[in-house]
Parts: sequence; structure tokens; C-alpha cells
Amino acid sequence: MENALLVGLSRQITLQRNLDVIANNVANMNTTGFKSRGVNFEEFVSPTARADTLPRTQRRVSYVADRGTNLDFTNGPVEVTGNPLDIALRNNTLLAVQTTTGFKYTRNGSLALDQNGTLVTSDGERVLVGGGSITINPGTTGVSIAGDGTVESADGPLGRLQIVEVTDPSQLNNLGANVYGTRTQLPELPTAQIVPGALERSNVQPILEMSRLIEVNRAYSSLASMQQRLDETRRSAVERLATVQ
Amino acid sequence: MRALYTAATGMMAQETNVQVISNNIANLRTTGYKRQRAQFQDLLYETLRRAGAVTAAAGQQVPAALEIGAGVKTVSTARAMSQGPISSTEREYDVAIRGDGFLRVVLPDGATAYTRDGSLNLDAQGQIVTSDGYLIDPTIAVPETAVKVTISPTGIVQALLQGEVAAQDIGQIQLSTFVNKSGLSSLGDNLFAETSASGPPSTGNPGEENRGNLQQYYLEEANVNAVTEISNLISAQRAYEMNSKVVTASDQMSSTTSQMFRG
Repeated sequence: MENALLVGLSRQITLQRNLDVIANNVANMNTTGFKSRGVNFEEFVSPTARADTLPRTQRRVSYVADRGTNLDFTNGPVEVTGNPLDIALRNNTLLAVQTTTGFKYTRNGSLALDQNGTLVTSDGERVLVGGGSITINPGTTGVSIAGDGTVESADGPLGRLQIVEVTDPSQLNNLGANVYGTRTQLPELPTAQIVPGALERSNVQPILEMSRLIEVNRAYSSLASMQQRLDETRRSAVERLATVQ
Repeated sequence: MRALYTAATGMMAQETNVQVISNNIANLRTTGYKRQRAQFQDLLYETLRRAGAVTAAAGQQVPAALEIGAGVKTVSTARAMSQGPISSTEREYDVAIRGDGFLRVVLPDGATAYTRDGSLNLDAQGQIVTSDGYLIDPTIAVPETAVKVTISPTGIVQALLQGEVAAQDIGQIQLSTFVNKSGLSSLGDNLFAETSASGPPSTGNPGEENRGNLQQYYLEEANVNAVTEISNLISAQRAYEMNSKVVTASDQMSSTTSQMFRG
């Protein structure tokens, strides 16, 4: 019976974390290029009692544990903004940004020029074009980004954005601020296409998140009532055993 | 339970979003107004289990990390500096800028501000001023005897004086451009100020480089699209509502937890 309480508890803890993940998805419903996360659960078998030949009370007990959050890398809807430096990335691609340590990539295509005319993300991090960053001279007209990721001006092409391919989204590590980190460099995708003059909205599906929310809430309260019943059983057991005399 | 606070950051972000959208809608008919857009970013993540951590002696690794985010933050309210539609006013001193340039305005304290609002007027001394009475830079004085003033697309101001047949040049309107227009700070009254993020202004005559041309008898309307703003408003309101549902769910779960204890 103790086990039943503990199994219920293990599920309740994972449900609380699941709610945290749902809350983060819902909070980022309007974050440009945000990718929602889901929780993976797995059965966690109590390592103490191993053999199935043991008496019933000593058999293996299955707990539940959350072992990871998986990134849903499906496309978000595209919102046309008309800004010449806005791009929407599609499919499993990311945009490389300059960094001093490791490798950093972003899905947020809301680009801008800083005070020196360098192409940066909305957070001011330099975007990789070719091998380095790109600076546009003051007075250059018609700066825009073409559908194949080439930065162009009225004077001709200036270089191509470094768009990389994500083969396995689980390698990506959320660093916050719409930036992902990886331990290995991702391969550049020369054939990648982008949507110019548009932004990708978050791929959070509100209906799905709300249904998950209800599911988590109901599962949590049903576990709570199960534990209450277990508690009552134990209480009445104690009372009855105590009144033997 | 972090969910309560995560959802609270979501509600705060949507509140900012509604504020920005309502300001855009309020300025739907403001001359030279440039719409703003609230930009969001996800907050830091707590990694409870790192991807790539070794799980067994044989070198098996965790395939996917357990990362839990802490919500959302508003990162900027960047302005879309795109061209607004041009509408005819038939007023002599109305000029619309077609291009990237800004008119230079001298504030009462001597500082320079920049504006897209070309509804100009004359002051008591016959000098060309903005609708707030601030002088434009360089100063242009219109003689009292002028019967007609023309402003050319390249900014040359000419006046036809009473009793004369040929118009004479009385000044030149200049425009400034910035490398990063979105980095300008908003002063209100349709004015913008230079910041370190915008870069220094590049000033010159209209029609050169990318400064754009002037169009007399026209004004630039706000570049706000009412339909887009209303749909953004609906989406922001729904997002706010859903975040509040998460708060409710998190509260219900906490209350379930506290009811589990029965002395």
C-alpha cells in the first residue's frame, strides 16, 4: 500500500512539471519563431525487488518519470509584415548567429540593422552571412532578402544568410531569447528557401494546450482522490486493529 | 509549481501587446505615424536533465533533454518604418516624404528632432514651422509679398512674389536618413530623436541617395492597417484568456494538493 502512494506521488510530480511545460507554451503563444515542447514520460521500474518469482508484495513496482521534453519542430503560421528585413524560416532550418562560444542558432527571422549597419537579430546578435557578419554602408538603397536567403541591395547581392539544417531537433538546447545552442556545428543547407517580408509565428496550438491542461488537471485530482482513499483504508485498518481488545 | 508564474509572464506580455496595438489603433489617422509591434522572446530554461548525459557504463546517452522554460518577456516595440499611404490635402505647406528621409526640426531647447509629419505652416515671422510651431532646419523664411510657394520634389522652395513673373528660390528643405531607423527614440508629437542605436544622421537634399522625394499638397498617413491591428487584438485577447486558464488550472492543482491533507 505504501507503494501505491509512492506511485501516485511519482505521477503527481511529473504532472506538475507537465503543467509547467504547458504554461511555457501558452505564455509564448505570440513569440516569433517559438517551437512548442511536449513531455516524454517513461516507466521507471523500482530497482529493489527484481525477480517476478518473488511473492506478490515484493514484485516490481512501476513508477513514472519524465525523462525529457521533445521539441515540436513543425512549421508555425507565416504572418506577412512587409518589412524587407523580416524573414520566415520554413521546415527544419535555423539561422546561424555569431557567437564566441559554441554554436548558436535562431528561428526568429525579425532582423534589423544596428548603428553600424550590421545585420543583427532583434536581440542585437550578429547574423552570419557567408563566413562572418555583414555590414551595409549608409546610403545603400533597396536592402532586402531574397527567397533563397541572399541579402541584396540596389548594387547587387551582398552575401547569403547561413541557413542550417536541423536533422535531429533533440540536439537543440533552448538558451532562451529565441536562441538554440548545439554542441556540434549544424550543416549548412544551400538549397534552403525562406519567405521574405514575413515572420513565422509560434507553432503552439492553443486547443491542444488547453486540452492537455484539462487532462493534467483531472489526472492530478483523480490521483489525489485515490490517495485519499488509500489513506482512509489505512486509517480504518488502524482503527479496527486497535479495537480488538 | 512554476506554472503560475510562467502564466503570469504570459499575461503581462499580452497586456503589453494590447497596449501597443491600442496605441496603433489610436494613431490610425495620425500624420506620419509609424506602427509598433511588440516582440517577444522566451525566458531562460531550467535543464533538469541534460541531453547527451551518459546513462550507462556502455556510453548510452540521453537523447532529449528535460528543459522547462520560465515564460516569456517583451523584448522590444520595434517600429515598422515602412511608407504610409499618401493622401491629397491641397494645402500649400503640406509635404509628404516618399522614401526613407526625415525632416529636421529644431526643438525649443536647441536640440534636433526628426519627423515624418510634413504638415508645415508659417509662423508670425513668415518662417516655415511644424504644426507645433518648431522651426525646420535649415530655416526658410517666406517673404510677405509671396503669392504662391512651390516645393519641388528635391526640396527647393520657390516663391512667386507679387507683381513678378518668375519665381525665386528662397531655400532648400533637407532630409536626414539613419542606418537603423527602428533605433530612433520616440519623443511623442510625431517626433523622433537620434540614439546610439540609430546611428548618426546622414543629411542632404531630397532625391539623393535613399532620402526620398517631397510631394507638395500631400501628407503621409499612418502606416497602420486597421484589419491587421484588429486581428492582432483578437489574438492577443485570446492568448491572455488562455494564460489565465493556466493560472486557474495551476490554482486548482494546488488546492487539490492542500485538500489531500485531512489531519
